[in-house]
Amino acid sequence: MNRYLANVNGWTIGAILIIILLFVPNVSIVTGIFSPASENWAHIKEYMLLKYIKSSLTLVFFTALFTGAIGLSLAWLIAQYDFPLRNFMKWALILPLSIPPFIGAYTYHGIVNYTGVIQKTLRNQFDITPNPAFFDIMNVPGAIFIYTIFLYPYVYMITRIFLSHQSASLIESARTLGKGPWEIFSKVVIPISRVSIIGGVSLVVLEVLNDYGVVKYFGIQTFSTAIFQTWFGLGDLDSSIKLAASLMGIVIFILIIERLLRGGKQYSYSTTKVRPLPLVKLKGKSAVFATIYTLIIFSVAFLIPVIQLIDWVILTFGKVPMEEVLTYTKNSVTVAVISATLIIVFSLIVGNFSRIVHHKLAKLLPKLTILGYSIPGAVIAVAVVTTFIALDRNFAPIYQFFGVESALVLSVSLFMLISAYVIRFFAIGYNSIESGFDKIGTDFRDASRMLGANSMRTFFKIDVPMMKGAIISGFVLVFVDILKEIPLTLILRPFNYDTLATKAFQYASDEKIMEASQASLLIVGVSAIAIIVFHKLLREEP
Amino acid sequence: MFIDIQNLSFTYSNSSMKAINDISFTVEKGEVISILGRSGSGKSTILRIIAGLEMPNGGSFILNGKKIMDTRTFIQPEKRGIGMVFQDYALFPHMNVEENILFGLSKMSRNDKKKRTNEVLELVELEGFEKRYPHQLSGGQQQRVALARAIAPEPDLILLDEPFSNLDTDLQVKIRGDLRRILKKANTTAIFVTHNVNDAHALADRIVKIKDGKIEKIGRPCDLLGLSTSELPSTVEKASEELLTV
Amino acid sequence: MKKSLIFLLVTMMLVLSACGSAGNTSSTNEATKTGSEVDSGEVNLYTSRHYDVDNELYKKFEEETGIKVNVIKGEADELIERIKREGTATKADILLTADVGRLYRAKEDGLLQAASSDTLSKQVPSNYRDNDDMWVGLTKRARVLVYNKDKVKPEELSTYEALTDDEWKGRVLVRSSESVYNQSLLASFIEINGEEKAKEWAQGIVNNFARNPEGGDRDQAKAIAAGIGDVAIMNTYYFGQMLNSQEPEEVKVAENLGVFFPNQETTGAHVNISGAGVVKGSKNADNALKLLEFLTGEEAQAEFASANYEYPVNNNVEPSELLKSWGEFKEQDIPLSTLGENNAKAIMIFNEVGWK
Repeated sequence: MNRYLANVNGWTIGAILIIILLFVPNVSIVTGIFSPASENWAHIKEYMLLKYIKSSLTLVFFTALFTGAIGLSLAWLIAQYDFPLRNFMKWALILPLSIPPFIGAYTYHGIVNYTGVIQKTLRNQFDITPNPAFFDIMNVPGAIFIYTIFLYPYVYMITRIFLSHQSASLIESARTLGKGPWEIFSKVVIPISRVSIIGGVSLVVLEVLNDYGVVKYFGIQTFSTAIFQTWFGLGDLDSSIKLAASLMGIVIFILIIERLLRGGKQYSYSTTKVRPLPLVKLKGKSAVFATIYTLIIFSVAFLIPVIQLIDWVILTFGKVPMEEVLTYTKNSVTVAVISATLIIVFSLIVGNFSRIVHHKLAKLLPKLTILGYSIPGAVIAVAVVTTFIALDRNFAPIYQFFGVESALVLSVSLFMLISAYVIRFFAIGYNSIESGFDKIGTDFRDASRMLGANSMRTFFKIDVPMMKGAIISGFVLVFVDILKEIPLTLILRPFNYDTLATKAFQYASDEKIMEASQASLLIVGVSAIAIIVFHKLLREEP
Repeated sequence: MFIDIQNLSFTYSNSSMKAINDISFTVEKGEVISILGRSGSGKSTILRIIAGLEMPNGGSFILNGKKIMDTRTFIQPEKRGIGMVFQDYALFPHMNVEENILFGLSKMSRNDKKKRTNEVLELVELEGFEKRYPHQLSGGQQQRVALARAIAPEPDLILLDEPFSNLDTDLQVKIRGDLRRILKKANTTAIFVTHNVNDAHALADRIVKIKDGKIEKIGRPCDLLGLSTSELPSTVEKASEELLTV
Repeated sequence: MKKSLIFLLVTMMLVLSACGSAGNTSSTNEATKTGSEVDSGEVNLYTSRHYDVDNELYKKFEEETGIKVNVIKGEADELIERIKREGTATKADILLTADVGRLYRAKEDGLLQAASSDTLSKQVPSNYRDNDDMWVGLTKRARVLVYNKDKVKPEELSTYEALTDDEWKGRVLVRSSESVYNQSLLASFIEINGEEKAKEWAQGIVNNFARNPEGGDRDQAKAIAAGIGDVAIMNTYYFGQMLNSQEPEEVKVAENLGVFFPNQETTGAHVNISGAGVVKGSKNADNALKLLEFLTGEEAQAEFASANYEYPVNNNVEPSELLKSWGEFKEQDIPLSTLGENNAKAIMIFNEVGWK
């Protein structure tokens, strides 16, 4: 009897099709690593590669360290303690995710540079001319600062949810054993949250490796600089794809490390036994400290840049054309909602497949889709364009049959951009959905089927409602990411199609950060609304 | 014969050892069977194969004259007409008691559904708990809801996986009695898995003892210990516990 | 759910069928070469310029001619790559970039077609047009020296080359070599002085850096004001932006700085152009040409000059008052296409001398 026969159903077929869809464009990149070296390769190796890898690793290492430390400490404070402003901070600390790092970099530089508010005030009001080097953030430490404050929410979010749902008995038993808070933190909290910290930090690492906006503006040479120098400067796309493929290799390496660190541990619980962690009320000094600490992080990572953006919006009011802003906002929200929905639906299909099919490949294949997240957007764009133009060529007879005169239909439609988003951000949505499936385990599914419900009914009546939290958080993360996305949107959009991000980029890339503030602020606003709605929806859960 | 299981064998995909090796037994209608064995003996796997949640390497299974599984047949779990009570009950946390029970009653009229729900709740003595959510119930109550939910669609066979493992000791004794009463009253054929010899003796009409994936012994509780059911007093409990400590 | 499954299946069919024959592009090319494209009259523009004034000009063109202009914006190299991949089926009619090097690259890749007319020749001097009429300049920018009026006398300044002298040690500010403006500056030196001299120059500038390159052109001006360095290499265009900034502090900074056109006695100041070419396979080459004529016409050129602090290429149009106040200047006398030819070499030199 074929053991796997029972598993070959709609789920398997659907999941495998999705995985292929996500892979196809990346294949051209993977094969790039084997392409013969061009005459530029020796130069790239000697003058760019090693040096750039070093600075990339420096950025990655320290950003990982700081986002890990800040994310974990905040998660622990919020999950375990009650203090003034705690309920506000619980969700407000996610808000920095709504600021695209390159906008954050421009904004912070705008604040601290010679004509920025700090030096200006010191100079004009107090007649103090500080050493400008003191305010220089356009260097490696500055970039680490920018990445840390705008990316730590990944770690914070994932770790906090873990701590407040899964740690009650462990932390309580530590308390009854007479351990103090610091001891509990170092001996219990850190070890048990390892998996979620690593999960969050690896998202941060991928973002950093991939970022081009911040390092380009700051004049820091990293691996992604090398990729674009090679393409834009040397005009050698093949070598640049070869570099991107090596980057992919590094990412696979990181993923394997992550797997090893995780040690195959899976945290699955049956919901009836899960108790939320009761909050300990902080008093006196420690309460003040907790409030101040969270307030500082929130101010630095969100409040201050937003105030600066608002200030610039007022300053440039009337100078930036306003009439089309609504269209841009609508465009941004529409593509983000469609793409995020597709990603979540696809993730659910693949996640369910991975859960019910007991085969190593079923666990491994979905993990590989994270590759899309590891390749610089502009390189994915090339792969996607190639794929869609090949599609259009194949469909030429069909187009003609329907009387469509143009030879390019799909590749000039919004469909191409949406597909590219799906390829790029699938990993973010899938991460969330997978942990949702991990959490509910398979018992409820089995129970449902024993009650006569087929796979479909089980999925919609049991799995989906139980995973509401994971679905919403996955959706919001993807939505916010797409809203911020730049290289794919720029290059793959249809004619005359502008979004908030392309508008903001258009001004920022021309060193007109003040003019960019309007669109930037709208990105932040829309993302913030999504995050707040997400928070409200989750709170209503029984 | 109501249930006929022949030559069941099973290997986990990540191991070469047979977890289940050539298991055969039969069950009469209305009989309560206990599969008794230590943890790791493969007893839960047998239950999951009968339920259709695992696919065996070989063997056949006939239920009420219907071929459920053989070399060419594999009926999906939801089509088998088998109910199951899970070890941790698996009550759907987003549904209240009534909704949990109604979930299995899809092919009935609204009135019949309501009637049947009341019937089973009465059977497990939980009238008035319809609107409670699982997390608002005690462990014993949860177990009874799980039982009511499994019985409600009137399955040909009901499976119970370690039904007492999550309960306090004194609760165990009471529920054990209740369970046998409920099963007999509903005239349900049942197979339950346990590692506890007392549970097996108190509940089962017959016991299938499993060791290392093979059947060690089958027989009535009295046959296995040389005592009749009526003579099973608490004195035996201690002795047997020592014999078969888990 | 069903719907999405169907959608999924359709998508997959599309993708799979694409994989089947992605290899034999030559045969599929023929299928698209039907030539029966309907002339919708619209002009599709791929542009790497992101300025509001450009949009206004397209609108004006639409009003005057009834020809609609559709736009995709992106980085020049990404757009070139996209046209390359779209091949003969491309929807693009015009490629517009803010750097002549990219136009050269597009021409070399065979992506452009010749487009000329009497009007165009009249409006644009031949040194801002391609020899083979593959592209035409729209606006120009000079890369000049900007200095601290308090610390540097204009007499001390002379040439780009003089900045490598020891007296400028620790005083020179310039952005990173990733900027295409620096790349074409060095490319022009390779053309004029030869590769070896160009490398010496780059090395000399690196030795005289006031700090490691960071930020954009505007940031170099601010660094002068902050006292980090005394002289910066920057584009006239950004200096104009600063003088008219919404932030009064930026205006103050710019007002303390002077503009100096270097190499006036010798080889001339470096100039780069924004330009455009008609894409090979354009379905609307006629209308595309009309748009190029419009953009180089007096009305549009005046707009460019006033709104964006760029120098017009049309000799009949005067630069803005601000630009005029800096005086006339002598430009480098080299074919602009050499900036593209030498671009890759320039980057390698930058890497070799360690110009970040």
